[in-house]
Amino acid sequence: MKIVPKVLVTKIGLDGHDRGSRVVAAHLRDAGMEVIYTPPWQAIDAVVKLALEEDVDVIGISSLATDHRIVPKLMRALKHAEVDGVAVIVGGIVPDADEALLVEAGVARVFHPGSSLDEIADYIRSIVPALRRVRSVEWNEEAGA
Amino acid sequence: MNERPALARLLAGDRRAVAQAISTIENDEPGAADLERALAPHLGRARVIGITGAPGAGKSTLVNALIGEIVARDLRVGVVAVDPSSPLTGGAVLGDRARMNDHGAHERVFIRSLSTRGHGGGLARRTDRIVDVLDATGFDVVIVETVGAGQSEVAIADIADACIVVCPPGLGDALQAIKAGILEIADILVVTKADLPGADATWRDLADMLRMRRDARDVPVLKTIATRGDGIAKLADAALAHADERGHGRRLRRRRDMSAHADRVARLAARDPFVRSLGIDCVDGGEGHATTRLRVAAHHVNFNGGCHGGVIFALADAAFGLASNSHGALASGIEAHIGFHVGVQEGDALTARATEISRGNKLATYRVDVTRDDGMLVASFSGTVYVSARANEAPAATTTPASGRA
Amino acid sequence: MNKPLDPVTLSPSAAGERWRREYAEQIGRDRAIENRSGITIKALYTNDDWDGSRHDADLGYPGQQPYTRGIYPTMHRGRTWTQRQLIGLGTPAEYNARLLSLIEHGATAISLIPCNSVFRGYDMDEVDAELLGTCGVVVNSADHMHTCLDGVDIARMSCAMNDPSPFTLLAFLLAVAKRRGVPFASITGTSNQSDYLSHYVANHMFFRIALPGARRILADHVDFCTRNVPRWNPMSVVGQHMQQAGATPAQAMALTLATALQNVDDCVARGMDPKTFLPRFTFFFDISVSFFEEVAKFRAARRLWPRLLRERYGVDDPKSLRFKFHAQTSGVDLTRQQPLNNIARVTVQAMAGIFGGLQSLHTDAYDEVLSCPTEFGARIAVSTQNILREEAHLTDVIDPLGGSYYVETLTGQMEEEIARNLALVQDAGGMYAAVESGLVQGLIGDSARRFQAKVENGEQTVVGVNAYGVNETADDRPPVQGVDDDAIRAHLAAFAAWKAARSQATVVKALDDLARAANSPAGNVFEHVVTAAEAGCTHGEICATLRRELGFGHVQAIV
Repeated sequence: MKIVPKVLVTKIGLDGHDRGSRVVAAHLRDAGMEVIYTPPWQAIDAVVKLALEEDVDVIGISSLATDHRIVPKLMRALKHAEVDGVAVIVGGIVPDADEALLVEAGVARVFHPGSSLDEIADYIRSIVPALRRVRSVEWNEEAGA
Repeated sequence: MNERPALARLLAGDRRAVAQAISTIENDEPGAADLERALAPHLGRARVIGITGAPGAGKSTLVNALIGEIVARDLRVGVVAVDPSSPLTGGAVLGDRARMNDHGAHERVFIRSLSTRGHGGGLARRTDRIVDVLDATGFDVVIVETVGAGQSEVAIADIADACIVVCPPGLGDALQAIKAGILEIADILVVTKADLPGADATWRDLADMLRMRRDARDVPVLKTIATRGDGIAKLADAALAHADERGHGRRLRRRRDMSAHADRVARLAARDPFVRSLGIDCVDGGEGHATTRLRVAAHHVNFNGGCHGGVIFALADAAFGLASNSHGALASGIEAHIGFHVGVQEGDALTARATEISRGNKLATYRVDVTRDDGMLVASFSGTVYVSARANEAPAATTTPASGRA
Repeated sequence: MNKPLDPVTLSPSAAGERWRREYAEQIGRDRAIENRSGITIKALYTNDDWDGSRHDADLGYPGQQPYTRGIYPTMHRGRTWTQRQLIGLGTPAEYNARLLSLIEHGATAISLIPCNSVFRGYDMDEVDAELLGTCGVVVNSADHMHTCLDGVDIARMSCAMNDPSPFTLLAFLLAVAKRRGVPFASITGTSNQSDYLSHYVANHMFFRIALPGARRILADHVDFCTRNVPRWNPMSVVGQHMQQAGATPAQAMALTLATALQNVDDCVARGMDPKTFLPRFTFFFDISVSFFEEVAKFRAARRLWPRLLRERYGVDDPKSLRFKFHAQTSGVDLTRQQPLNNIARVTVQAMAGIFGGLQSLHTDAYDEVLSCPTEFGARIAVSTQNILREEAHLTDVIDPLGGSYYVETLTGQMEEEIARNLALVQDAGGMYAAVESGLVQGLIGDSARRFQAKVENGEQTVVGVNAYGVNETADDRPPVQGVDDDAIRAHLAAFAAWKAARSQATVVKALDDLARAANSPAGNVFEHVVTAAEAGCTHGEICATLRRELGFGHVQAIV
């Protein structure tokens, strides 16, 4: 079956400006992806639970006003919940020094203002097959642990 | 990650396993059939509540309130929220879940969003099997929220034990928008946003329309103000009572009630080693028809890099064989022809649908259309069988009901 | 034609024809140009498009109907626009230092922007510490406000508090006034961004309580201020958020006017006389870099607003018809790439606002788009205004673009486009209903997507982003304003100690009274917020009480 990427577009932290995340969500839909779009101010635990239940490929965090500072907290929460095969990308205003910290914390990529929408969609499409392989499951009862 | 086998985790209710199981089925991955078979013995406990109605009726807000009410009764609730996909791009924004934020974070709640991916009826193609996953893994109540814009969005009625149709307040216009089909399937009608002007009039109009319905079922018309919690407890009571009264698992009974032919097709398919070795699944079957599916894998590919014609032939032939044997008489193929129209690549998912063209005492002919998931017709197959007097199953096999799916 | 033509002997229409012909011959492929509001822009505007015969109807004189040229007879020549720079960062002490520095450099009024945690209605100890003080000052109590305004004469300096329902920052300011013996009647300023609808619709900041509650508290607030703080502007209707969220300039103006009308309706429904509160209505707009469009937008609105008031409410008192507004240069036009270019952008935006006849201006710092502005960037922003006023002499002539064929034509066209969009909203039942139904959000989202498409396909150039780009590394970017984590930690510790030392009984009683007022339709909620602020209640406590009584509500997730 054709792979239909599933992407969560959300905002954590305190900021509410969501023009960017709305535009990205609409573009990803137009690019043939399934987008779970939430309002801003999502709790980190809620994001982790959502990512698990929806079996998303990518978590897209929009951060325009320093909320990226708690993305490492999200990464830790994902690790704690043993979420694997899910990429976290951050889009928005991220100072250079902080970008390095985010990547170190496990963020797959940071998209700065001026990134094209197609760039984001193409990137997601390119990483999804490998993510799906990590998340694939053998349901056959004979398979060992 | 060293852990128990996936199936064991799933049946223990592990959240990630439940999600992965739903994905396997939603995406028709190999192993979906195995999974469904493994879940079969655990089905039938959950009460399935369907919620439908025109866009803007306040469905998601209502579902949000219902989730809260059910969770407060110490029950586990699973939610399947279906949104339409774009006919142009195939993509979708799945926004229902965002409106269930109040309770979505609760430990006893599981929410999954699906897009219709072009499937009609208001549901995603495998919604009923996805509901099975939630049923089998211990959810007490499964709520299915669907798109309900037109007359044809009634597939929910086949899945839900209690079907709630939601109407916003408004004068005649809103009711014109509710097509007869939707009203017919309602077990319970709800007027949402009941504090707004026009709610009482809508309530009365619905009651009038009910009187004109064909069947004389007692359908309550309730009023709710979801944002305040008004009427929610009553709605939950009515829905659960209805499900208890009609029996849980309406969708399962419907499957079991399918004709003996369908069961036979399933049994026959299950005992075909060649078909299974290729990774071909029989996904549907009945009197004189059968549908098989295959996802083209690396080992199906020929020296030119495309799908081997023999594979496509085998897929069509499998459907042909099952359709022709569905009546119980042993039928053998004596002639078959295939025409290939379009190149098929690794990764494509193919569906072969066999339908009976004619059937006599000795001969029967079938047509099989092989399509790709984007709707493209990739091959056309026709075949003739010789129908013998012998049965294709031993007598004992026809009396025990099939386990698993058809 | 081979003979050279003498222009003096030609009739005007022949000259025009000649120009048209020569233009068509020499232009090559002409482009169809539309401004951001979708209005087609021609190559040349002449007296065929607009002429002096329409002077009285369209222009008039400053300070008189139709007000196109300005709401006062003297405008900036009499009194220059207020240089009201938005300031907000870190702790109250850091805010105070920045404020005093900018006043020294020419800022003439105060605007305080609180931390995002305050926006959301929380105290500093209720949120992730990493998010404190990054974009605004952490003010949770009257004591904090006192520190923010240390050394500032609040009887003389106008204070804008960026803080809508329940207006705790103003409540803290009034508590400070009381402490300092400054009578409320001397307090001047604005409840900036008091418009809950624009926050709900566009940027979701300041979303603390459900819409109906916010609506009620706003009316209470207008009522209280009208009676007790007569020189305060309690109403600031915001167009900035919607324009920054993607609404076209004409759309943003239309939606703002629709909101203003909604607010007038709500106040009138409470029994207030428009003449008592309209003089204190102010507006707050974005200024994009689309220069002439912005000038025309403001002039059109200045003309349209009084007409709406006359038609709907029969108001003709001059003080009530003035379209007073503060404007801020648009951060959305600024780029991360080659950030110094932003200084040029801000200059153009500021000029558009000045020619548009604003009363008060904030200019963005060039590093606004990288983080909270540094002092260095903030100083340049203020200097920009000083240069425009004192070197370019932009205050010398009132409405200098008035009478321009282009500007007058465009003003008329913008007025039509604004009126058309306004009618859409009014037909949907007014702004409140249109927001509840999601209509407004949909309109804004569509415009945002259209603009993004133009940028992506290169139709709209953004220098340094989709054209004229250079390779930049981190070294090319200016240093960013960081947060002093130690200062924040100390602030948190001091806050905890202060809370523990408070009289709990006083606080509890004030919050109970507040809750009771919220539940009684006749109670004035804001009045009780003021009392609670004096009693030592915190911002978070006040918001939590109101959230409990009036509901939290949900932002619609509309794509």
